[in-house]
Amino acid sequence: MNLLVFTKRVPATQEEELRIVDEGRGVDLSKVPFKVNDWDNYAVEEAVRIVEKTGGTVTAISMGDAESDEVLRRAIAMGAKDGFLIETDQILHDPGARATVIQNFLKKESVPFDAIFTGVQSEDDQFGAVGGILAAKLGLPFVSMVIGIDAFESDHIIARRELEGGLQEKVKIMLPGVISIQTGINEPRYVSIMGVRKASKVERKIFKGKEYDDNVNSTIELVKWAYPVRKGEATMLNGELDGICKELLGILKEKGVYQ
Amino acid sequence: MSYTLVAAEVRRGVFEERNLDSIGIAALLQKDIVLLVPEGAYEIKGNFVNIIIKTAVNEEIFLNPLNFITILEKIMNSRGKPDVIVFTHSSSGTELASYVAGHFNMPLVTDVSGFDKETNVFYKSYYSDKIFGEFRQAGNGPCVVTVRSGSFKEHVIEKGPVETAALEDFALAEGRTFIEYVEEEKGDVDITKAEFLLSVGRGIGNKDEIADYQELAGFLRATLSGSRPVIDKMWLPKAQQVGTSGKTVKPKVYLAMGISGAFQHIAGMKDSDCIIAVNKDPEAPIFQYAHYGIIGDANKLRDKLKDIVKG
Amino acid sequence: MAIQTQTRVLTCIQCGKCTGSCPEAGRTPFNIRMLVRKKQFQHQIEESIPWYCTSCGACTIRCPRDVKPSEMIIDLRSAMVEEGDIPATIQKALENTFVQKNPWGRSRAKRGAWFEKMEIEIPHVSETESRRLLFTCCIQAYDPRCMVIPVNVATILNKAGVEFGVLGEEEACCGNEIRRIGELGLVEELQEENKAVFEEYGVKEIIALSPHCMNTLKKEYGDLGIKVSHYTELIASLIKNGSLVPRESYNKKVIYHDPCFLGKQNNIFDEPRDILTSIDGLDLLEFSRSRENSMCCEGGGGRMFFEVEAVYQRNADLRVQEAVDRGAEEIATSCPFCVMTLEDPATEKGIKVKELSEILMEVL
Repeated sequence: MNLLVFTKRVPATQEEELRIVDEGRGVDLSKVPFKVNDWDNYAVEEAVRIVEKTGGTVTAISMGDAESDEVLRRAIAMGAKDGFLIETDQILHDPGARATVIQNFLKKESVPFDAIFTGVQSEDDQFGAVGGILAAKLGLPFVSMVIGIDAFESDHIIARRELEGGLQEKVKIMLPGVISIQTGINEPRYVSIMGVRKASKVERKIFKGKEYDDNVNSTIELVKWAYPVRKGEATMLNGELDGICKELLGILKEKGVYQ
Repeated sequence: MSYTLVAAEVRRGVFEERNLDSIGIAALLQKDIVLLVPEGAYEIKGNFVNIIIKTAVNEEIFLNPLNFITILEKIMNSRGKPDVIVFTHSSSGTELASYVAGHFNMPLVTDVSGFDKETNVFYKSYYSDKIFGEFRQAGNGPCVVTVRSGSFKEHVIEKGPVETAALEDFALAEGRTFIEYVEEEKGDVDITKAEFLLSVGRGIGNKDEIADYQELAGFLRATLSGSRPVIDKMWLPKAQQVGTSGKTVKPKVYLAMGISGAFQHIAGMKDSDCIIAVNKDPEAPIFQYAHYGIIGDANKLRDKLKDIVKG
Repeated sequence: MAIQTQTRVLTCIQCGKCTGSCPEAGRTPFNIRMLVRKKQFQHQIEESIPWYCTSCGACTIRCPRDVKPSEMIIDLRSAMVEEGDIPATIQKALENTFVQKNPWGRSRAKRGAWFEKMEIEIPHVSETESRRLLFTCCIQAYDPRCMVIPVNVATILNKAGVEFGVLGEEEACCGNEIRRIGELGLVEELQEENKAVFEEYGVKEIIALSPHCMNTLKKEYGDLGIKVSHYTELIASLIKNGSLVPRESYNKKVIYHDPCFLGKQNNIFDEPRDILTSIDGLDLLEFSRSRENSMCCEGGGGRMFFEVEAVYQRNADLRVQEAVDRGAEEIATSCPFCVMTLEDPATEKGIKVKELSEILMEVL
């Protein structure tokens, strides 16, 4: 069982105040710390658990700058056998373009696989599309939002997809295929600093992203960055209890949680 | 003849409310709106599209990306290519959209929450929703978008009599098949999955008040959760604790009743979409994180809410 | 570390003084004497048990041999950390510390927010002559309730004419709790980073705002050649030499709670008391368990981030009840963890918890 897992190094923007610079052309990420994309962390953990049970290997692949080596080391510390870095400094916003680079890479380097795991989306661009686009380009079956893998056989898997409102959908997909993993599918193991240091001893292969440029065009263009409309302080609801309650129910209706 | 194709999401025989957002953005695009639906006995609310194409397959087959591309192929062969194909930004919608975009080599922008008619620019949120990227299609040809629920439904326009068409049967893909739906287990409550949390804190007073909160939660279809002191005192089980030493939650609505907002609690819920705080103390730190605040007695508010909702 | 632990546990004579002083003994399944026994025989230890320890240090201090049971707990935990098998909430705290250099995961860039908002200008430590650093501490940098402490102390020192500077976002978590949790690799990284910054700016003296930070900076960072103290030591001496004079009276019955990391672990009992007794009208009360025998509030040892399975009446609850029973109107303490853990039951029982600097601000 050969599993490929894609993992990405992303800026940890959850807590940060971000500034748009360069007249709308850039976002200042210079002071933002980086970390592994949460979804990819779950994907690596799931892949490693599967090979721990069924045998086989996990290969972690990352497309990004040289610093992305960090997430490869982390994947290795979690149990991946090796890591490949498709090194590129260029930021491709278009998920279609990114998927094409990966498609070219897999073809050119004849990377063998039984299944490809990705995270549902990445925390920075939140597109949630590379997995599906890649699957279609490779002509492979695809399943996304996987919240549980109930069976993993040599030629197919049975997976549960997370739908809205707590409902799940159980599907069967044939392998080879592409599986996008949703957060919460498992509890990723903790990777200690010493564990990551040990993982540094495993060689990570570096490939130059430029070599996989064929037909890579951006079909969408980023015009500029903009701030969302700012929400201010808490809006206080005042007046009689009766009126407040009705206002509260109105808010709940607007948010779609109460009919 | 260009048109906008809206792929409807029908689940468990329900034409999802968020389809209206897809139709809404289609209205802004000002072309004929073609709604693509599966077979089934469901009701399509409103009269907001020009053409409805009903396929001969049920919802589970329809929403399978491997089949959907065949459906699309047939439509484009008979009607020509649409300008834009719209999906809901949801579990199924995004899954379909990405597969379609990859198969037909179409540009894709997901989670669109705004659109500028003049410049044809789609707004898409980035970086934990703190920045928007404004995207435009490069080149011509159909493009694919998924739209964020709640973003466009006010733009739907009443249309005249709708034309219907049918799409005949086709060979089903074998690479992926639907097995069954799985309901949520009624075991330990999983507060991390709830869309609406009604959370109680020390301020509610004592354990006897919990039953009434449980009742209110039932009426509002909310899930009950609590802060650490409430769990420490065993008013609620550990599985329902929100905070640094409990669970971290991000529901659509977090209604905090009688919770002061200690740091360790805030850490567990501050990213909720909408935080409504009810507390007697106007200085309670939770008001610094809330979107809406009510200064008052949580128990009294609870009782009034119950009266109104029951009546 | 494992070898040292194995050697030390062999000297244990099972006298039971450790369990006798443990804040968790009797009320939770945690029995430190028994754990040492199990370690002696290399027996399996149930994986949730080591997480009960609050790192108060009482066992190690009272042990007549050199067993150092609290170090053994760190050793047990570090083995679990390396396995990756630790409670999810502890994992989150560690991952947050790795990314943002504080266990709460708050933005590193905002670590200096507390002094940026102040009216008096607080210089960067490199801009001071004395190179005296005020080390903030993660919880005091980010928690609104505790943020008043560095603001107060900065104001008080400024009033007394004591020069000091800060590091702002260049300060990383001291690593005290991280070490107690057992992530020794992360502790190394944090120490390396802080040490490099201290060296770069020629820091000569560190005033720590939290006893936890003081403890590790003083005893676990190696020989820095830097004088490390807790702010109460400095303030007590300023009051003694007349640079600070409490002018207002504080007519309240105040009971003082000794934090473990200030008191029993670092022998700083008198300075906070000297501060309180220098205030006119303040009636200083004592708990039955005070000074070396102070009852641990159960905030340390990673307990801030972890919910134990046992359900029992918390020490903080008992402590506050005693304060009320003794007629105290306020509980004073000098550690942010104690403040946070005591405040919940205190608010419920109608008594206030004040950090020393908060009382000082009202009387200076």
